[in-house]
Amino acid sequence: MSFWNQTLEIARVDLRVERRLGDTLRIVLPFAVVALMVFPLSLGIELATISRIGPAVFWALGILFGMQVALRQSAADTQERRDLHALLGVDPAARFVGRVLSGGVLMLAFLVVLFIAMVLIYGPTLPSGYWPTVLLGTVLFSIGLTELGTLAGEITAGLRNRTALASLIVAPLALPLVIGASQSLEALSRGTGILPWVLLMLATDLALAVIGVGMARPLEEATR
Amino acid sequence: MTRIRVLFSVAAAAMTVGLWFALTAPPDSLQGEYSRIINVHVPSLWLAFLAFGVTALGSIMWLWKKKQRWDRLASASAEIGVLFTGIGLFTGMVWGHAVWGRAWDWGDPRLTSTAVMFFVYLGYIALRNAVDDPVVKARRSAILGVVAVVQVPLVYFSVNLFRTLHQTQSIRPDGSTMPAEMLIAMLVNVVAFTILYVALMAARTDVARLEEANRETELLAGDAVKPPKLSEVGDV
Amino acid sequence: MDLLVHLENAGVSLGGKPILRHVDFDLQPGQVAGVTGPNGSGKTTLIRMLTTLLRVSEGAGSILGADVNSDQVFAVRPSIGMIGHNPALIDELTLRENLVHVVRLAGLAEERVDPVLEVVGLDEASDRRADASSFGMRRRIEVAHLLLTRPRLLLLDEATSGLDNSARELIDALMDRTIGDGGGVVMVSHDHQRLDESCDEVMALSSGRLERAR
Repeated sequence: MSFWNQTLEIARVDLRVERRLGDTLRIVLPFAVVALMVFPLSLGIELATISRIGPAVFWALGILFGMQVALRQSAADTQERRDLHALLGVDPAARFVGRVLSGGVLMLAFLVVLFIAMVLIYGPTLPSGYWPTVLLGTVLFSIGLTELGTLAGEITAGLRNRTALASLIVAPLALPLVIGASQSLEALSRGTGILPWVLLMLATDLALAVIGVGMARPLEEATR
Repeated sequence: MTRIRVLFSVAAAAMTVGLWFALTAPPDSLQGEYSRIINVHVPSLWLAFLAFGVTALGSIMWLWKKKQRWDRLASASAEIGVLFTGIGLFTGMVWGHAVWGRAWDWGDPRLTSTAVMFFVYLGYIALRNAVDDPVVKARRSAILGVVAVVQVPLVYFSVNLFRTLHQTQSIRPDGSTMPAEMLIAMLVNVVAFTILYVALMAARTDVARLEEANRETELLAGDAVKPPKLSEVGDV
Repeated sequence: MDLLVHLENAGVSLGGKPILRHVDFDLQPGQVAGVTGPNGSGKTTLIRMLTTLLRVSEGAGSILGADVNSDQVFAVRPSIGMIGHNPALIDELTLRENLVHVVRLAGLAEERVDPVLEVVGLDEASDRRADASSFGMRRRIEVAHLLLTRPRLLLLDEATSGLDNSARELIDALMDRTIGDGGGVVMVSHDHQRLDESCDEVMALSSGRLERAR
């Protein structure tokens, strides 16, 4: 089977499993919305502050809860299944790309719904024409975070406390994505260009893609 | 099935009457036409509180009697409660945005508590979906159902404990602050929604009962497994 | 005749500890080799080494013609089949969907799925989710997958434990088919009677060393 066929098959099965389990939309997303509500309650109820911090809280929660979305596949991956893929001759790079594809779709849906919830709950003042910038930022953010989560899942495969460990690996490395996404919206508000921030996220995504594809085979062999 | 059809027919008629009252009652002098949303918002939340109370009752009865019908009652009511809490929150946000210029009012603990209640019961449903064994499912969700019902009185009485921009309770022991026609319209809709709840409960518990019966009569896995065709192994 | 497996002084260390040491092992085409040994003696490690998924830490040799110390092993993995302790099925998919997934990844035609399900006796049970299926049913799907992929080297790690007679016979038929195709089988088992009946030679693992038992 060709590389892309393997990629699409892995993504297809991942999404089918998610549709049956429903963890992302039925558990992680509601949890993230509850977390959206916790911030203002702990800060007090000054409306101006709440409105201002809305987008920042969104991106921060996007990282924290997005990690759970990104790591859920590797958390469910057993050694037997990894062995089976290896014995079927599945290219580890195809596994990586397939996981990023399916995880990216879920992450994007998750973030879009979370953003809408943030707008409703925080009532932020957003610059006019913000949707394309937010969408672009969300797409690049989703791709990068999923790449990081997939890589971290592979690095920690088979280890005790792998979910917590993988989260610890992902969180700091995802900072360029948070900065790029949040600052692009700020730049739009200020009327300055969003290009530097978009390029930052794009560079992060590309670097992670190259590392993920290039290191897929060594990682697979190292985690036996 | 006839019983359920009758219930839904009565509910449809009641909702139609409620709609008529809602549209013909005079609007509030300050809020204008937006005040009509109260005829969906308040009954939805009333129904949500009722539903979660029934969930608690069903949960307690299951823990006491261990009869599956109480679990069906509790879970059906929780699902309907989540639906109507969602409707109540949504209509509340629409109303809030129209009247106060913001969809969410952080100064209103009742709104926040209602949202929290929504998520608690989403968690109840997620818990049920995560367990396959019917007895384990019933036990765990019964315990959560009893704990979760603490939210219901907290929501209803929070408006009396905290200062809020939201309206104070429309119906108070010392009389109502609403004009009589608006009050009548709202009460008619509360009754209509309650009838709808009964119809939905009847349908949902019926479906749950049929699902359980289906599971019991489903072929045991062993019945569906046949001896292998060893002579054909070489032809594969 | 080229050996399917040739190992000289092979060893595997895990976590810095030697698990297998000084393993000399040859497997001819058409041969069934049995391996027995006490718990913790390294039987599963031996099987995983033979799959090439665990690389040798010392020694030399070849598996299906690929040098065990090189990346040539990646190319021969699709010709190796294994039934391990736990079936490698995705719980949330049905038995049939699991098999279709494997068939697609192996680049085989999906039309072959239904006939093989009938052969293994799961044609009426294949719409059950894997996590709602018995161990025996999950094993049968593994056998179905191997019937389709036709490995040249078949590795069985306690493959018949916990199975009923018809499932055991199915695994026997899989072994016979592999041998008939010119392949070889390595079988790990605690069932000495089964090893005696099925194997051309039986070896014992003790303290990481492989010795001929009969």
